[in-house]
Amino acid sequence: MALAGLLILIVVMWLMVLAVAGFLVTFVAPVDAPFPSPLVSSAVRAIIAVLAVIALIFGLGLLKKLYLQRKLA
Amino acid sequence: MQLGIYEIAIYGAIVSAISFLLVLLLTPVAIKSLTKRGWTVPDIHKPNKPAVPRPAGPVLMLGIAAAEAVLFALTMNTAVLAVLLATAIAFVVGYIDDSKVMPGWFKPAALLAAALPIVLLQAHGDHLNLVFGSAFIPILYIPLIFVIMPVASNTINSIDVLNGVASSFIIISTLPLLASIAIFGSMEVFLAALPLFFATVAFYRYHRYPSRIFPGDSGALLLGAMYGALAVAGNSEIIGVVALLPAVMNSFLFLSSVKRIVEHRQVKARPVVILDDYRLAASKDRSAPSTLVRLILADGPLEEKEIAYKIFQLSIVSAVLAFATVAVQYLLLR
Repeated sequence: MALAGLLILIVVMWLMVLAVAGFLVTFVAPVDAPFPSPLVSSAVRAIIAVLAVIALIFGLGLLKKLYLQRKLA
Repeated sequence: MQLGIYEIAIYGAIVSAISFLLVLLLTPVAIKSLTKRGWTVPDIHKPNKPAVPRPAGPVLMLGIAAAEAVLFALTMNTAVLAVLLATAIAFVVGYIDDSKVMPGWFKPAALLAAALPIVLLQAHGDHLNLVFGSAFIPILYIPLIFVIMPVASNTINSIDVLNGVASSFIIISTLPLLASIAIFGSMEVFLAALPLFFATVAFYRYHRYPSRIFPGDSGALLLGAMYGALAVAGNSEIIGVVALLPAVMNSFLFLSSVKRIVEHRQVKARPVVILDDYRLAASKDRSAPSTLVRLILADGPLEEKEIAYKIFQLSIVSAVLAFATVAVQYLLLR
């Protein structure tokens, strides 16, 4: 049964990775128009992307905490 | 220069054969030579702790380097050279760690150098492949490569805890990566990825349970670095991550438990304990780090071979998810 839990965890991680990729394509890739130079728009995109990845890591941390509480308590 | 279908088939056969045969034929020589020189470590999970030679890194490097050098001579493609150099740098870093006990920061810091050939030879694409599309973020992409290389190398190194696990993991994870590179990357990088697969298949023969040789840091780091370099050069970063999810999970669990970059040997509380019958059990010590193996053992003790089989099953699932990701991207971009 430990494996079933880990399999679900892996599928949830996969969905989270896809969600972040989808967010970046939808909201970060088109960021261009309001900024005066390509460097500024690139920097803004980079900051949003880094924040999205930090959110992903935070989400993974929460997921891990929940799983460990259930399994190793 | 665009490669034709016959060139791809012939070059592919050549590099696959070179990497496979060299590793297959030279590993027994390395086993004898390392044993003779006393370069062995005890296999602590087995009765009587048999001495197992290590590292197999030099043999893996030789097989892969010979194949990549021939491919470079045939194609003169700089991405092939970048993959080869990145792999060689990771091998050197691992070999230093195999020869001498280095502090925990050494490997991640030194492995930053493995990103240099990819950046300097411009083996990476302009856009970050994000499955549902791509994003042009040059200010982020170069630093990202310097993150990917140490992380990929250490991720494979950290899963190298039981007989045959790291090699079987690379074999399975490389399959979706190969598919992704062939579809979204270039044929030259696809050909450059074949030696990783075939050298590891040959090595698995000796590394599987019961191991006759261990890869060592030099072997595990070079496999991880090559995987990372191929994912970057083959425009397949996200798919590469998905295929590695169980290993990524293992690294994440460990790092978030110990909350610092540290060598496994420096952690006092072990995540698993060895029972009298040599089965492994999850540690009850609350200060012990969480790892993939500890989670697998949460429901009860298992033999080493059984744990390796469960990791094998997890890696197959993550490879299926990676293939599904390739299919999603292919259908969306068609």
